[in-house]
Amino acid sequence: MKVLTCFKVVPDLTLLTDEDWQVVNNQVDVGFVKNDWNPFDESALEMTLKLSELSESLSGSMELTAVSVGNKKIDSFLKTLLALKFQHAVRIEAEQDLRFNPHQIAAWLAGYVKKSHQDVVVMGVQSGVGDNAQTPLLLAEKLGWPSITQVIGIKPEKNGCLRVTSQMDDGVLEQVIKPPVVLSVGNAPNSFLRVPTLKDKLNYGKKSVEVIIPTDIIVDNTTEAEIHAPKLIKLSAIENQRDSVKIQDGTPSDKATILFNRYLKQRLKKL
Amino acid sequence: MTLKREEIVQTLEKILSPEQVVTELSVLKESSIDRFRRFEGYHGVYLQPFPAAVVYVNNSQEVSEVLKFANENGINIVPRTGQSATEGGLETAAENSIVLDGSRMNKIVKIDPYNMQATVQCGVPLQKLDDLLREQGFTTGHSPQSKPLAQLGGLVATRSIGQLSTLYGGIEDMVVGLEAVFPNGQISKIKNVPRRAAGPDIRHIVIGNEGALCFITEVTVKIFKFFPENNVYLGYTLENMKTGFEILREVMVNGYRPSVARLYDPEDAAYHFSHFSEGKCVLIFIAEGAKPLADATAGAIREIVDESGACTPVEPKLIQRWFENLNWDPSDIAEEKKEIIETKNICNTTEISSNWDRIHDIYEVCMERIRNEIPDLTMLGAHSSHSYLNGTNIYFVYFYNVVNCGAEEEITKYHLPIKKIVVEETIKAGGSMCHHHGVGKHRTHWIKDEYGSSYYMLKTLKDAFDPNGIMNKGTIFPIED
Repeated sequence: MKVLTCFKVVPDLTLLTDEDWQVVNNQVDVGFVKNDWNPFDESALEMTLKLSELSESLSGSMELTAVSVGNKKIDSFLKTLLALKFQHAVRIEAEQDLRFNPHQIAAWLAGYVKKSHQDVVVMGVQSGVGDNAQTPLLLAEKLGWPSITQVIGIKPEKNGCLRVTSQMDDGVLEQVIKPPVVLSVGNAPNSFLRVPTLKDKLNYGKKSVEVIIPTDIIVDNTTEAEIHAPKLIKLSAIENQRDSVKIQDGTPSDKATILFNRYLKQRLKKL
Repeated sequence: MTLKREEIVQTLEKILSPEQVVTELSVLKESSIDRFRRFEGYHGVYLQPFPAAVVYVNNSQEVSEVLKFANENGINIVPRTGQSATEGGLETAAENSIVLDGSRMNKIVKIDPYNMQATVQCGVPLQKLDDLLREQGFTTGHSPQSKPLAQLGGLVATRSIGQLSTLYGGIEDMVVGLEAVFPNGQISKIKNVPRRAAGPDIRHIVIGNEGALCFITEVTVKIFKFFPENNVYLGYTLENMKTGFEILREVMVNGYRPSVARLYDPEDAAYHFSHFSEGKCVLIFIAEGAKPLADATAGAIREIVDESGACTPVEPKLIQRWFENLNWDPSDIAEEKKEIIETKNICNTTEISSNWDRIHDIYEVCMERIRNEIPDLTMLGAHSSHSYLNGTNIYFVYFYNVVNCGAEEEITKYHLPIKKIVVEETIKAGGSMCHHHGVGKHRTHWIKDEYGSSYYMLKTLKDAFDPNGIMNKGTIFPIED
């Protein structure tokens, strides 16, 4: 089974100060903060590695490919995935700002999936830089594949099937499915990617990152309208401050009593 | 006569009040370790003897009474405030210890801007003091990574140092006077004067004692005018550490005092600065203070760096944003815990210092030996972060995957063997095995080698001030019986 895991490298927006949130040339400059895995994609990558480990004893090994879109600055992330024993690490070359263009990204990914004959695509539901939450669904649509959203677990089953666990509004759904499928990973219990050893970096990290030029990928179902993404015009701060009161005097017990009587009692009654 | 656990608790409740004496099992477990054994703690493994109680004191008199009781009955005392220790200093090495917690002694006694000093009780968080000072245009000048967690008593007890040390110095340069309580109950106060030549400087008996001699109850530190608007951030990439050490040396021996002077090797730089380091070393300076001074310092450093011909400048904002997010707060600690439990990947560090002529050799030999001798490493890097006229420090940083062993073996399989390499190679080269974390309980094996013939002086302090050996057993001084 060929599994493609798509990931995005994102700037750590928590490192930005208020003054950094300025729109210049339709962009917010995030070039001076550190980059990291997009958290949902990090879960997807770890989930893929666990799936591969589990499948070895059941249905033989899987062929794992990791793909991302961007410039060579993300190659160190792809090298890390090679060290974690992804067989292929692929970068679709792009310099432009694609934060608000899930159509374009989905079109390129669809082109790559078709070209490389993947069976399963695993990816995070969204990334903090665009928060579009559209790429997995658009990709499934372009491929004509089914998609499962809010995935929190994947296990191998016999006969080339997968047991997929996903969160629903009213509970957890477990279903056995036959690929092809696009799996959109949500709030999975595992949120961190394992770390390769220096030895594995030396042994496996030597492999080259495969760079693909978008024009080399067959894109047959993307309209011009889709490609022209919305532009960032202005930003406005979300007021999320809340009033606070500090209960200062007395013992902890006194303070708890004041907290209950003044602030909690009425609310509890309403409940 | 050895008191039973229940008797210790009952007496403490009489000396203080029941509310001040905590015996809840979960608290006792967590109070038996510090961050050195956090991997064990995160996995629910607690191998140290649980203390009899954690005791929260409100004033120096209470400290005195608890210490007298412990001294008369041979009960081990582990002093603590902010609990951010990393070297085992807070581990309860003896049965039925009393963890003496000063975090409720958290009053800011006096801020004296005319004499440029601030007096605080031991449990005042450094962040709280510095934030308050900054509102008034001053700063402590002390900024360790533990700033959001650490409290003044612990910072002085561990001979702490902050990121701005090259300008403001370590805590030992900041402490003007202090109050400490000794095991016999003696409360001693050292007055606040600019300098004196009235015998040895007895502040240094207390600063860095790691709770092995006395309990610090009050501290007076210098304060400095704060001009953040004048800060000049400088950052460079360069090919190798040897050149970086030479540049740091040139800056220091020519008398320039940037607040921050740091050199990262390629691995450590990739960890902190993956967005611009590109596999190279990173050199960082921050010049601060009054504008003419900050500008002159930055200008001179630029000249020295330019003359080396070895560095490529980077956008100053890259350095500024990194610096603004350097410290750890409780949410970072919680996130780290989750990550360690999930990935079994943990970071630890060992910091040493040496004169300029040996520092690069120590760096090279330690890196090579650790890389070759330690299994399952996922990252091995180092940086220099505190420079002096005659030398600098190295902070070895290492991550490893804990595999094929239980949580209780993590220290003996990985952390201690790495520490051993770093400490032994440093002492062999004439450096110091501890730059700023303190000895704690896991570098005591080498304390006699560290001190050589001057160990006599150190041991005499212990014998004089803590003859019954009740103060933080196994810290600084090895348990030899």
